[in-house]
Amino acid sequence: MSPADPPRASLLLDAIEAALAPTHAVGLPDNASAALFSLLERHPRIRLVPVTREGEAFAVASGVWAGGGSPLVVVQNTGLIESGDALRGTAVRMGVPLVFVLTYRGFARASGTTPLPPERPLTPEILVDPRLDSVALLTEPTLDAWGIPYLRYGSDADVPQVAAAARRARDEARPVALLLTRALA
Amino acid sequence: MSGRLTKDELLAPLARLRGDAVVVTSMGVVRPWARFSTSPLDFASADSAMGHTADFALGLALARPERRVVCLNGDGSTLMTLGTLVTIAAADAGNLVLFVIVNGTYELTGNQPIPGASRVDFAGLARAAGIPRVHSFEEPLAYERALPELLAGEGPVAVVVRVEPGDEGPLARGDPGEPPYLRVSLAESARRLREALGGAR
Repeated sequence: MSPADPPRASLLLDAIEAALAPTHAVGLPDNASAALFSLLERHPRIRLVPVTREGEAFAVASGVWAGGGSPLVVVQNTGLIESGDALRGTAVRMGVPLVFVLTYRGFARASGTTPLPPERPLTPEILVDPRLDSVALLTEPTLDAWGIPYLRYGSDADVPQVAAAARRARDEARPVALLLTRALA
Repeated sequence: MSGRLTKDELLAPLARLRGDAVVVTSMGVVRPWARFSTSPLDFASADSAMGHTADFALGLALARPERRVVCLNGDGSTLMTLGTLVTIAAADAGNLVLFVIVNGTYELTGNQPIPGASRVDFAGLARAAGIPRVHSFEEPLAYERALPELLAGEGPVAVVVRVEPGDEGPLARGDPGEPPYLRVSLAESARRLREALGGAR
C-alpha cells in the first residue's frame, strides 16, 4: 500500500484492538467510517452501540468506562460540534481515557485549496465560501478551544498514531481525538 | 392525570428495594436521594451535561449486564435528548430501569414550566420509542406495590412518575455543605463508581 491509497479499516481496527481492547464501540456512521462500522457490526468481541445523535456517544461511552468497560467512539466532525456540552460534561469532566475516531468531513477539499486555521483566519468570506466545507475549517479550532488533543490519521502509515492516542488518553485521563482525514477502505 | 407523589414517596421505597443496583440521580432528586442512601453505588449526574444522564446510565448498564442500573431522570432532561429513548430501546439493555420524574418544571432554576408541560405523554414517547415495558404512576400506593416487579424481570423498563415540584436550588458539586456524593469532583465520582463495580473488566 502506498500513501496515496486510502487507509484500510481493518488495519485501523487491528491497531485499535491492540491499543485499547475496546469492549464497546459507540457512534454514528458516515461515508468515511462506513467500512469501520461494517467490521464493528460483526465483530466477535466489541459490541456496537448505535446512537441517534453524536452527543449521546460520549455519554454512553463514559458510562461504559465507569462500569469497567473500555469504550471507543466513532463520530463525524459535524457531530462533534453538535456534541459540545455532552463531551465537556461527560468524558472530559469525568476524566475518561477515551479515544474517539473523528471523521474529518471536508478536509481534502479544504486542505487542497487553502491553509486550514489557524494559518488562515476564519473570516466571514471563508465561512460562506461554497467551495469549502466550513466544518473542516472549524474542526481543529474547536478541538483546540475545548482542550481536546488530536492526532491525524490519513494513511496506513499513520497506524502508530492509534497507540500514541491511546497512551495519551490513558496517561492524562482525558479524551483524545484521532482525526480521520480520508475515508476508510 | 390527577395525583402526584412526593419525592419521599418516590425515593424511600426505591432505597429499600434497590439491593445492589447502581442508582444514577439527576437534578431535583440528587439531594433528596442522599437522605435515603450513602451507597458507593450511587452516582450523581451533577456538574455534568444536562440531558445526558439516561445515556450515561445506558453505558453503565451495557458494561455491567449482570447488575441492575436505575436512572432517576427528570422530564426536562428527557426532553433534551428524546432520541436517547430510541437508543435505549435499540440497545436492548435488559438491566436498565429508567425513571422519568415528571414535575412539569425546571426545578433547579426556579420551577419554570418545561415546554409542553401537562401535554407531553412521556409514557407514550417511551412506548413509541420501542421500550418494551412502560409504567406510569400518580399514586404512591400503586407505585410502591408495583416497584418490586419494576426492579425485577427483563427490561429496559421506563417508569413515569408524576411528582410534586420541589424547591431544590442549584447543585454545587465540591461544596462541603452538599451530600457526600456531591463533595468530590465528577471525575473522582466516576473513578469511585468504577472501583466499586470492580474496576476494569
